[in-house]
Amino acid sequence: MDYTFQFAAVFEELPYLLGGAAITLQIAFVSFWGGAVIGLFGAIAKVYGGGFWRRLASGYVVAFTNTPALVQIFLLYYALPDAGILLEPLTAVLIGLVLNAGAYLTEILRAGVLSVRRSEIEAAQTLGMSGLQIVRYVMLPHIAKTIYAPLSNFFVWLVLGSSLAALFGVEELTGRAINISTVNLRSIETFTVVAMIYVVLTVIASSALALVGRLAFRVKAKVF
Amino acid sequence: MQHLEIDNVCASYGKLEVLRDVTLSADKGEVVSLIGPSGSGKSTLLRVLIGLTPLTAGSIHVGGERVDYSNRKNLKKLRGHMAIVFQQYNLFQNMNVLRNVTIAPVKIKKQPRADAENKARELLEKVGMQEKAEAYPDELSGGQQQRVAIARALATNPEILLFDEVTSALDPERVKEVLDTIRSLTDEGITMMIVSHEMAFVREVSTRVAMMDEGRIIEVGPPAQIFEEPQQDRTRDFVSKILSH
Repeated sequence: MDYTFQFAAVFEELPYLLGGAAITLQIAFVSFWGGAVIGLFGAIAKVYGGGFWRRLASGYVVAFTNTPALVQIFLLYYALPDAGILLEPLTAVLIGLVLNAGAYLTEILRAGVLSVRRSEIEAAQTLGMSGLQIVRYVMLPHIAKTIYAPLSNFFVWLVLGSSLAALFGVEELTGRAINISTVNLRSIETFTVVAMIYVVLTVIASSALALVGRLAFRVKAKVF
Repeated sequence: MQHLEIDNVCASYGKLEVLRDVTLSADKGEVVSLIGPSGSGKSTLLRVLIGLTPLTAGSIHVGGERVDYSNRKNLKKLRGHMAIVFQQYNLFQNMNVLRNVTIAPVKIKKQPRADAENKARELLEKVGMQEKAEAYPDELSGGQQQRVAIARALATNPEILLFDEVTSALDPERVKEVLDTIRSLTDEGITMMIVSHEMAFVREVSTRVAMMDEGRIIEVGPPAQIFEEPQQDRTRDFVSKILSH
């Protein structure tokens, strides 16, 4: 069977696809930082929290790491309207991914929180720092340094995982690829190009993260 | 009125009582040293004073005002007057020397950065570390780190300074440089409480020495009394053992 590849039909749509790639990055970015904030407090609650906060954080992590992200978003999207909350597809995806990322990042960040030496926290307390100042000036730099690699990996996972938004009709990179391929019927070419775009996105993302780590946290990470 | 008054203070770690009815005071500018065997509660007393370990009974007055350790504002105010230097230096590893010294003045006392840095450089000169202002703690020896920690504590302008076995983790060669630094501070009017096993140093710099054992203060007196004519057998026993080796 002969098949002639015709990439021209896909390249015509490149600007449209790159627009989708921008949305993909936005979804990953929001999920990552939203999840990181939840994860930071989740991790601190698990390490230093009292009974109630520790149990709350543990319950949250168990619930969200033992069910698929897709199922979590379906629940938000289809179950919440019954409670009178109607979400836009993109909003449902973002909330779902933030909550999902928050659970995973709680576990990742916990390793970082454990790496903070108790003695430095005590020194900060005796200098009169508030709880938030201790997190900001003493804990975060240690956490960032310790968990840099898994954190970067997780961001890459989020860039790729955001493709499930396509299932809800969000026109990010994968969603737009589906749109194009149903019109030009060049699925192989379309998804090959899209795969390449994903590679470029993740390489840029992880290099940028490595650079930030180097400049901000004295992490000796390899910048591509 | 005494500058620092500790009245019948008790503290415990779980069921273990580490301080039992400790009463001790220090006049302004006094240097009070705590000696005694390991586990006698010396370090715990310093931790209680600065609010790292809760007291279970008794009271502490600073400048005539009772400290309420459960009140966050009160605790912050206390820590604006009191500073501690730890055995393990406890410097912030992610900050260079200058930032370690300026972080409290800039972020807590809200001083302009330039002023804080000028003051920090003066303090670093005082402890002989001005050359290392840009270095990170992991690039310094233990003695150097401890001198930076002393500068960091001084940067908050403390009226009361606590030293918790500050030379115990150091090589013998480095002990002298740190003790010399502390000695140079004793005539600045700062009230000091020093936990130390360096008996010659304690004897030289202290106005009074308190002997602790099993969570109690068993004898307080001027260095000459504690080291030459101790009133208690336990003190005599401890002092003779530690001086004879």
